[in-house]
Amino acid sequence: MDLNTIKQEINNCQTSTELENVRIKYLGRSGLINQEFSKIKTATDPKAFGQQLNTLKLDVENLITEKSKTVVSENIENKKVGLPAVALAKVGHLHPITQTERQLNEVFRKLGFSIYSSPEIVTDEYNFERLNVPKNHPARDMQDTIYIKEPEYLLRTQTSTIESYLLKDHQPPIRAAFPGSVYRNEKVNHSNHFVFHQYQAVVVDKGITMKDLIGTMDLMFKTLYGPNVVVRYRCKYYPEVEPGVGPDMQCFNCHGQGCVICKYAGWIEMGGSGMIHPKVLEMAGIDHHLYSGFAFGMGLDRWTMAQNNITDIRTFMGGNLAYKPNE
Amino acid sequence: MKLIYSHLQKFLPDLSVEPQKLRDDLTMIGHFTNFYEEIDDEIVFDLDIKVNRGDCLGYYGLARDLSILYNIPLVLPEPLAYPTSNYALPIQVTSTGVTRVMAVKIVHLKNSVSPDWLQKFLKLHGVNSVSTLVDLTNYVMFMYGIPNHAFDTSRTTDKLIWENNNGKNTKFTTLDGTVLDMYPENLVISNPTEVLSTDLVGGKNSGVKPETSDTIIEVAIYNPTRIRLDSKLLKTVTEASIRLEKQLDPELIPIAINNLVKLIIDNCGGQVGSRIFDYYPNPQPALAIEFNPKLPSIISGIDIPESFALDIVKKVGSRPDITQEEDLVEEVVRFYGYDKIPTNQPISFKQLPDITPKVIYLIEQLKDKMVSEGYDEVLTWPLVSQPTDPQTVITTENSINSESIYLRQSLIPSLKAQLDQYTRYKLPHPKFFEIGKIYYLEFGQYIEKFALGKYDGNSFSEEIIDDLPQPDFYTPINTSNQAIELTSQIITLDANVISDQSPEVLLKHYQSIIDSKILWQIAISDYYQNKYTFRVSYYNCNDKTAKKIHLQTFNL
Repeated sequence: MDLNTIKQEINNCQTSTELENVRIKYLGRSGLINQEFSKIKTATDPKAFGQQLNTLKLDVENLITEKSKTVVSENIENKKVGLPAVALAKVGHLHPITQTERQLNEVFRKLGFSIYSSPEIVTDEYNFERLNVPKNHPARDMQDTIYIKEPEYLLRTQTSTIESYLLKDHQPPIRAAFPGSVYRNEKVNHSNHFVFHQYQAVVVDKGITMKDLIGTMDLMFKTLYGPNVVVRYRCKYYPEVEPGVGPDMQCFNCHGQGCVICKYAGWIEMGGSGMIHPKVLEMAGIDHHLYSGFAFGMGLDRWTMAQNNITDIRTFMGGNLAYKPNE
Repeated sequence: MKLIYSHLQKFLPDLSVEPQKLRDDLTMIGHFTNFYEEIDDEIVFDLDIKVNRGDCLGYYGLARDLSILYNIPLVLPEPLAYPTSNYALPIQVTSTGVTRVMAVKIVHLKNSVSPDWLQKFLKLHGVNSVSTLVDLTNYVMFMYGIPNHAFDTSRTTDKLIWENNNGKNTKFTTLDGTVLDMYPENLVISNPTEVLSTDLVGGKNSGVKPETSDTIIEVAIYNPTRIRLDSKLLKTVTEASIRLEKQLDPELIPIAINNLVKLIIDNCGGQVGSRIFDYYPNPQPALAIEFNPKLPSIISGIDIPESFALDIVKKVGSRPDITQEEDLVEEVVRFYGYDKIPTNQPISFKQLPDITPKVIYLIEQLKDKMVSEGYDEVLTWPLVSQPTDPQTVITTENSINSESIYLRQSLIPSLKAQLDQYTRYKLPHPKFFEIGKIYYLEFGQYIEKFALGKYDGNSFSEEIIDDLPQPDFYTPINTSNQAIELTSQIITLDANVISDQSPEVLLKHYQSIIDSKILWQIAISDYYQNKYTFRVSYYNCNDKTAKKIHLQTFNL
């Protein structure tokens, strides 16, 4: 089984059905490549063997993805009437949230960040204590928590919870960004939901400053909102950072004059950030005299909804969100 | 929190900045100010005060910040010299939840309707005017940020006790007539026979009346945790509780009570009828924090003169929320100006080991694969109304959305609900997928797995993807496509066309003449020689409009 033979087989495919058959032959659950994987244990150098197989698998996947763009699509309708493919080929679409997440991931990957993730059902320790929010701290009121088993198990209320795991599991230098679903005990209506999407980025290294934080955040906002976006950075309290920084975007509707959208403030609060609190670093076993770090987080739903002219957050999840089939 | 400019000037007589600038400056130093407005000839600001700055739930705390920012003097009212009285109030404090209480008796006062300025002040803070005495206690709470209370001693006697309820009362009727269920641990103010007040709301049996002539006024700070628990237990949130649950400064109590006594005597007459009672068992000495004046420059990344840093640290002095060096750094930087930090110097690229969990690459890869196969991505609710397997389902305890209390164990029921939605909107040929978490209990452990669920146009299927082989790296394909919020049913209509032009040309032609705002999809559903059947779907328009456009387009 070598890549060239497979390549030829893929190239010979004329229709989506033929291509799918090739895919199943090699990449299916009991396909030839997976069969090879079962031989890893008996290989002389299992690691090298596994790596070779992974590379092969990726190559085949990429070839098939490439080819799928040019083969004739044969879905049920055109089989029935023998239509030219151009008439009915349905295009697939990514959810707008995935698109925004990918856009941000790309910004951070280019700066050397990994993408991270962690569980959604977490203990109080990871959601609060490790973020410098002890029991009975008034900051707990900033978030209505959904409990699985009060007071210990809950659904994470913020992507900072992922930061708790990240800092515990890795030693500096650290660069990681992470999208994540987070939960709050809110009644679902047109503008609130119990689940929404946040994005966070964390850096821990020697000599990290507020200037690094603000410059990096600004780069991110300019990537998302365009080069002309006006963002100001001000003092803002969050228990897990010190000093805290709040980014506010000048209202896109009134340009700072004050209107209904910005509640007459002229500015819209975009999220929270700051230099990681020394106690947070300490709890993660990181020497805060040696290392400093920044963290920032923001919500993705409102922006992404605005991008797509969607006004109701319920549309976004399990709702009446759809995509034009040919665009 | 409302802030009236003219009353702020009582602490800052030299304050003269334009309201617009004051709004922006307050925001920049950490007190987000939504807006200001002119009401009844007063300029009123609307602020969000963060939980660490309980002191700024009073004018005094904000004035302290502004006096440093603008370098103008902070002025306190001339203190009242208390007359000497030999009478010691028989007050007892037995609860450990009390940080400091000061109290004093005022006798022979004349309570009445409040003066206009006081009524106006309270109205702008959303508080009803009751009588001069009560209104002054509220005024002092807003000015100094410390709650206080006036008891009518003809109703309570002077024998006040700060104690734990311990079963003394099982019910308690508040000033406004609400009946609260009491718990033994509630901190209360009582006399030997009954509870007179809780730590966060006064009682109907002890409050000031229009005819009140003798009163004990008290200003107290409690253990914030005690207040938070009482507020939860009593299901009561008051102007007092939102302040007392935060760290307040007990050193401010003597100033606040002195000002309150002075205001009462000025406005209601009467005289001080007791010695000042002061219970303050554990005065906390000001915290010593080592401070390196270079640190603000090191942390901010910009050059902040050491002399400036030291000056700010001296001016800020001690405050309950400042407990370590980094807190002082924030003080220095916020008064120096966050806006002095450049915004155009992001961190540069650095090669580090990739710690991305491989399942993330797999998910990205699968998403691209599904899209390349014509599937649309949807997101559904992770909390659902029905368990798939009641034995292993994880249930939320306090979800206020009573129809969504179970963590989903499968994506399929949610995808079925999605299909129902699409059917309701008559979406032609739905084909969609979701990659999301599913959750279940296994041997008492909470398990989360990633699943891929899909509807291929005929049937639903689902597989757990955590255990599939994972790529070492994957670069997702960049796409950008618009999503659409369907607001009405999609209307699909057919049209027969006879033409010798190619189907591609015909499709392009018709596509170009139908407004893209209502054209969902155009396709050829059947053809024979030069006879074509076009199938056109319209959206976000009604039946009538769709038909009209359809007839026009195809000259029918």
